[in-house]
Amino acid sequence: MVDDATATYILENQRCFEDLKQVASQLAGLLVLAAAGSKEGVPDHPMIDAAGTLFREANDALRRARPTERARPHHEHLLRAAASIAVALKEAGVALIVDRVLIPLRAGYSELERAADSLPGFEKVAYERACCGGARVQ
Amino acid sequence: MSAYSLWVMEYAAVPNYPQSGLIYGMHNQGTRKLPYCYVVIQGQGQLAMVDVGYNHKAHGEVLANTYGVRGWHSPREVLGEIGIQPEDISTIFITHAHFDHMGNIEDFPNAKFYLQERELSKMVWSMSLERRFRWLMLGIDPADIMRAVDLARQGRLVCVDGDRENVLPGVDLHAAFDTHTWGSMYVTVRNDLSANSQRSFVFCGDLAYGYENLRGHDPNDPEYIPIGLATGSQFNVIMTAEAMVKSVGGDVHRVIPPHEERLKDLFPSRITKAGLRITELALADGQKSQVY
Repeated sequence: MVDDATATYILENQRCFEDLKQVASQLAGLLVLAAAGSKEGVPDHPMIDAAGTLFREANDALRRARPTERARPHHEHLLRAAASIAVALKEAGVALIVDRVLIPLRAGYSELERAADSLPGFEKVAYERACCGGARVQ
Repeated sequence: MSAYSLWVMEYAAVPNYPQSGLIYGMHNQGTRKLPYCYVVIQGQGQLAMVDVGYNHKAHGEVLANTYGVRGWHSPREVLGEIGIQPEDISTIFITHAHFDHMGNIEDFPNAKFYLQERELSKMVWSMSLERRFRWLMLGIDPADIMRAVDLARQGRLVCVDGDRENVLPGVDLHAAFDTHTWGSMYVTVRNDLSANSQRSFVFCGDLAYGYENLRGHDPNDPEYIPIGLATGSQFNVIMTAEAMVKSVGGDVHRVIPPHEERLKDLFPSRITKAGLRITELALADGQKSQVY
């Protein structure tokens, strides 16, 4: 159970969490293509720009967030996630060297996982829309 | 003569899953048990699997509490029932990139993973779309993508482009593009190793959830009924069902949907102390049964 103010924080920050997760996914996706030798895993891939735009929106929203005491650990995880993902994005913009991007990216995603574990309403996978996990218990 | 022993290993289950999620059109027709399983292939000096299940540490609590998934057990426990350790597995075929099929890569440190290149590239493409297209990302765990990066760097990720024969002796991969997912594939084991095998099994991932997908509701008047969910087209799902059924000479029971609970009624099976089912589809010559 969470109090009303924390519930408001959750509702207001789900999008920010989702966007940071999306940026992490986009970078990870490019890395896997590059590491697997796919012709689509190229350093000037347009998705790096798209990830940068989405990141800026998420980061702005994160700075505007007003966490309650209950939500403070969650918010701190998101701040740390954003800081690490920013490093990963910057590295990816220079060159798609897997290690230089993956290490901060993994750190950032771990913080997102911790954030998801610290408050309800933040899911690592969209289970509800997944085929084999989509049967929500009544 | 069987070249390989083949087991379907349950690792978790949803006791009451809506039928409509599995068989197209079965709305308001109740629920069924949906087991989560992977497949073990042993023989010819090979130890392989089809899919690896999901990572409980990452997903277990939410799946258990919110979505009713019960009884998850680790690969070490599940495979231990047939005397195998995860470290023994050398080859893994990932039918598609959903979290419950690809989500436990890290538990298999010595395996080489085969996945369709299109499954990766189209998944990444879908990530580049705007937020309103997020449905296309369903079932994808970003952490799995990061683990796949490690696999690729270690030379343990093989991106397959289309069909590939004899990946292991008598084991073929078949692409099923734009079906359940962008780059799904199914695995055929020609268990007598012959080119025109009479003893093939097809491991279909989520290209069929149950036998209704492959023969309809009336066995005397069979028809293909699409699965409950396709990112690609239901036409492609149906044509893939035809290809799979044809490849086993029309014997639909040789197409193995891992989520099909009734496998236990068709093949020798046992329930472990943990309440998980092991179904034995075939035993290689000289190997000991794991269900009797």
